[in-house]
Amino acid sequence: MVPSTESSTVARRARQDGRGQTANPAATTGIAGLDFVLEGGLPAGQPTLLRGGPGTGKTAIALTFFCSGLQRGEPSVLVTFDESPEALIRHAEALGFPLRRLIDEGAGRLLDMRPDRSELVTGQVVELTALLTRIGHALDQLGAKRLVVDAIDGMDESFGGGNSLRAELTRVFDWMRERDATTLITAGEHSDFAGRFGLEDYIADCVILLKQEVRDRRMTRLLRVLKRRGGGHGTNEFPFLLDENGVFLAPVTGARLEARPSDDRHTTGIAGLDRMLGDGGPYRGSAVMFSGQSGTGKTSFAAAFAAAACDAGDKVLYLSFEESTAELARNQRSVGLDLERHMAPGGSGRLILEPLLAVELGWEEHLLRVMQAAQAHRPAVLVLDPASALSDRADDRLGKEMLLRLFYMLKRDGVTVVATELLPDHSEGVSRMDVSSIIDVWIKLRRDEESGQLRRLLNVVKARGLPTSDRVCEFRLGYDGVTIDANRAEVAGG
Amino acid sequence: MADLVLRLYIAGRTAAAERAIRNLEQIIQEAYGDERPCQLEVIDILERPQLAENERILATPVVVKELPPPVRRVVGDLSEREKVLIGLDLQES
Repeated sequence: MVPSTESSTVARRARQDGRGQTANPAATTGIAGLDFVLEGGLPAGQPTLLRGGPGTGKTAIALTFFCSGLQRGEPSVLVTFDESPEALIRHAEALGFPLRRLIDEGAGRLLDMRPDRSELVTGQVVELTALLTRIGHALDQLGAKRLVVDAIDGMDESFGGGNSLRAELTRVFDWMRERDATTLITAGEHSDFAGRFGLEDYIADCVILLKQEVRDRRMTRLLRVLKRRGGGHGTNEFPFLLDENGVFLAPVTGARLEARPSDDRHTTGIAGLDRMLGDGGPYRGSAVMFSGQSGTGKTSFAAAFAAAACDAGDKVLYLSFEESTAELARNQRSVGLDLERHMAPGGSGRLILEPLLAVELGWEEHLLRVMQAAQAHRPAVLVLDPASALSDRADDRLGKEMLLRLFYMLKRDGVTVVATELLPDHSEGVSRMDVSSIIDVWIKLRRDEESGQLRRLLNVVKARGLPTSDRVCEFRLGYDGVTIDANRAEVAGG
Repeated sequence: MADLVLRLYIAGRTAAAERAIRNLEQIIQEAYGDERPCQLEVIDILERPQLAENERILATPVVVKELPPPVRRVVGDLSEREKVLIGLDLQES
């Protein structure tokens, strides 16, 4: 069994973090974010309990652990007490794992332990030796070190849940440790199976809780690590996604800034703005924000930046939270910017436009989708238009924290972030997103209607590491795009 | 009456296994005497784990009535005579 380089790296890191004691090596779960939270993965050779109510994603996580192991060539055994093997295969296929093929290839085995409802029980004594014998037999035949037990609370039905079951279960878990199999056991909330038999308190070495929360009529999936023996763990709740791409959990805490500072500079695509930033745009891998009230042309600035990056050969992911792809392309065409020349099909394909309309999703899910899209496309430049769509909807500080973490994550990966921020008309130009600490180049746009004529003004609030203009300049949005008249500066503040 | 084919699965010679064997033999003897030929096979799954897998055995001891149909199972040490007969769908002669 050869662990992947990635998993052995995190395992080593987990060991180093183990406060002086020799922490156990970790087995990757196949979910990068979960491995991060678990500081490497599940405790190798030990049982972990994954508990949650119906529909919280227990089986999806268990199947990911199982299937990703098989895909890496690690033989694994899955025991089911609830769903049929056929249903599990379909479930795994819906998550993108070719489980039927993996099993046909012989590295994985599904053991059907669903209770036979017609079976009658007489007398008191029931032994679980048969169950262990079957599991042991399968592990031996495959040489497997990974085991999944799905819906262990299904045993309740099979064995009547008498007092002897608790002793038997303890024996089962001890046996799993002796077998040195990394085991993931899922349990539902059904009649408090895990609590009644002390699975959490006494038996499992690591406990992960899943739950769903509905806030503002939007559902959020949350994961929390309750305990992890022989290793540290995060105690926060982590939102996660579950869809046809599988389980996605953002590695959100412990974010450290590791971005390699670059001397390469982008162009903003607007000659006048480049001049204001000292004859060249922002550095690669920096965070740029355009703040302004509605109608100040934020999207035009972001789109010009995106098109210029594409012209320079960069891959750009443009996440639009308010306009559809067609609307954005049409609206920019009207101000002289042809985005379609970089869009597939027909164009260079360097511009990827993804509308993420903000209405349906909870903000955690929204941010996770941004991270997911960024990891899937690996762009050089990511545009969030407007980023305020992400933080406005958060009812507490968490939204801002999550947004900061998103910026941190992108900067860590060396991605240039271009964000727009919609300022409410009554905000008097004060940013509400509270992310300025992470912004390298901050440009503020505003309207001035006082002199009987609408004028658009812009100034550079800050630009780290760049010689910048401290002037307020007027700009026009015309058929030929954004034009900045750097000579006609206005001194008075608005 | 058709011949009776029973398989008793045990996991090692535990006390419960010994009791189940004794109880089952006694129940059959009392119900049919020598009137009905009965084939009773005791299978230790520790020696033949693949059979436990094939038969989807969860708990032991368990007796499976293979013939005549329908197939029936009763789990436990088989200490309750009436329940065993009902569970295996057997009538006394």
